[in-house]
Amino acid sequence: MLELKNITFSVTAEESSDNGAMRTIIDDISYVFKKGNFYAITGPNGSGKTTLTRLIMGINQVTSGAINFEGKDISKLSITDRARAGISYSFQQPARFKGTTFRDLLSIASGSDDENKLVQIIARCGICSLDFLDKPIDSKLSGGEIKKIELATTIARNPKLAIYDEPDTGIDLWTIDPMVKLLKTEQEKNDTTTIVISHNRAFLEAADSLLFIENGKIAYSGNMDGALTILNDLSVCHYRGTYDVEGYSGGYR
Amino acid sequence: MTWRDIVEAIDKELLKAVADLEGVPNGAYNIRKNGRLLGREISSNISIETVKEGAGIIVTIRPGTVNESVHIPVIVSQAGLNDVVYNTFVIGEDSDVTIVAGCGIHCGTSQSEGHEGIHEFRLGKGARVKYVEKHIAMGEGKGKRVLNPTTRVFLEKNSYAEMELTQLGGVDEATRVNEANLAAGSSLFITERVMTDYKQTAVSRNQIVLAGDGSKANMISRSVIKGDSKQNFYATIEALAKSFGHIECDAIIMDNGLNETIPALKAKHPEAELTHEASIGKIANDQLIKLMSLGLTYDEAVNRIIQGFLG
Repeated sequence: MLELKNITFSVTAEESSDNGAMRTIIDDISYVFKKGNFYAITGPNGSGKTTLTRLIMGINQVTSGAINFEGKDISKLSITDRARAGISYSFQQPARFKGTTFRDLLSIASGSDDENKLVQIIARCGICSLDFLDKPIDSKLSGGEIKKIELATTIARNPKLAIYDEPDTGIDLWTIDPMVKLLKTEQEKNDTTTIVISHNRAFLEAADSLLFIENGKIAYSGNMDGALTILNDLSVCHYRGTYDVEGYSGGYR
Repeated sequence: MTWRDIVEAIDKELLKAVADLEGVPNGAYNIRKNGRLLGREISSNISIETVKEGAGIIVTIRPGTVNESVHIPVIVSQAGLNDVVYNTFVIGEDSDVTIVAGCGIHCGTSQSEGHEGIHEFRLGKGARVKYVEKHIAMGEGKGKRVLNPTTRVFLEKNSYAEMELTQLGGVDEATRVNEANLAAGSSLFITERVMTDYKQTAVSRNQIVLAGDGSKANMISRSVIKGDSKQNFYATIEALAKSFGHIECDAIIMDNGLNETIPALKAKHPEAELTHEASIGKIANDQLIKLMSLGLTYDEAVNRIIQGFLG
């Protein structure tokens, strides 16, 4: 349903820190995401994980190559058109607004301001408190709260393709498993193709396929078992270790 | 004049815009058009008296009056008129009322039209007031529309005032002045929203004095500056007692707008707690991207952000 064909993304001199030189962030990636599957993307910091998903959403445009979504090349489409085509995106650091509430965002996302419908969506996302709806999306929200809101606005789109960039950042350890279950349920019930960028073992284990990105390339793609060697070899994780409170993300950073 | 006569004599669109009035207001009202009284209604608890024809009114609210409202819209649609009024609101002890004021200018010619309203509020002990003021100008005329509102608030012990001051658009020149003096235990919450466009200018000057122990003031300013317009915002909170004050001023610049924002805090008591936060800038990119990723176009996203920001 989503095919990346030789996509490359380079930044120009002024955006690059290497004073003058072009820098390639995504280097000739080709990959096919199958409908209804759950993908986890992991890899070292700065490897290009977020950039790759931003290219899919259209936040950045590919320098070369094509992105085919349901058989159509979307690589020149705007963010809006890609959203309307069925792609939805959860940001790692969600935007904060002055004067915009969760209700506003959810209404835009779902295309309805019907109270019952909104309540159904938040219940589906495991948000029990109705007070939450009228919370302003401003700097007063905690990191965990805003991530839950971000997740809900993504799910409210009923997307064909849902992309989550580190949904567990700022979420307490005890909420991660329910979050994985939520994304799995959405995937299974609605046949949502799901891509999650994460360093957390819970997400990696939940995935049908895992992509390990390094230096702008896919260094590995396949199942979790095959990935263990590469993850350990690259010393990016302590996968065998158990959770500790501070390093709750499981260590894949 | 009956309510029907009033509505017929007035620009309905303006009346709705400045005072949210479509039907007969529930409670007391005083409607002024082109410098003259058009209609007035009082209640057993609220009296409205003319100081001197053309010079303003005194609205007196009896102590203990609760859940009543006063509407005092002003409409200016006469070419060349500059309407000046001095209105005083005496709000009795332990009362709880809502006052809705506003001025709408309809300019149909090339002559300037203006309104200068000085509103003075005297809140008795324990009184609570919610004051809503909207300013708007419309019409096809090329004349300059000038609105210069001054709001002065004197809060006695344990009183409470919430003020929403809004300039919605179409006003070419505005000099806005807000002054307040707070006695012990009193609270003041001001939210000022101003939108300018084209070559319009607006200046807002605010001076809040926290005079009594336990007094509390929070001033929020939201500015949207479009086109080649310019807005300046100045606010000073001066604490003379153990008190709390906060200024939050945000300006969104669109197009070629310019802004100067100067919040000032003066602690003249060692236990005063004063804070401020200020920002000037374009709409944040991450906000636009988020809304576009929810299916809005760029322009729709801009509108939603501005709409929310101006509340």
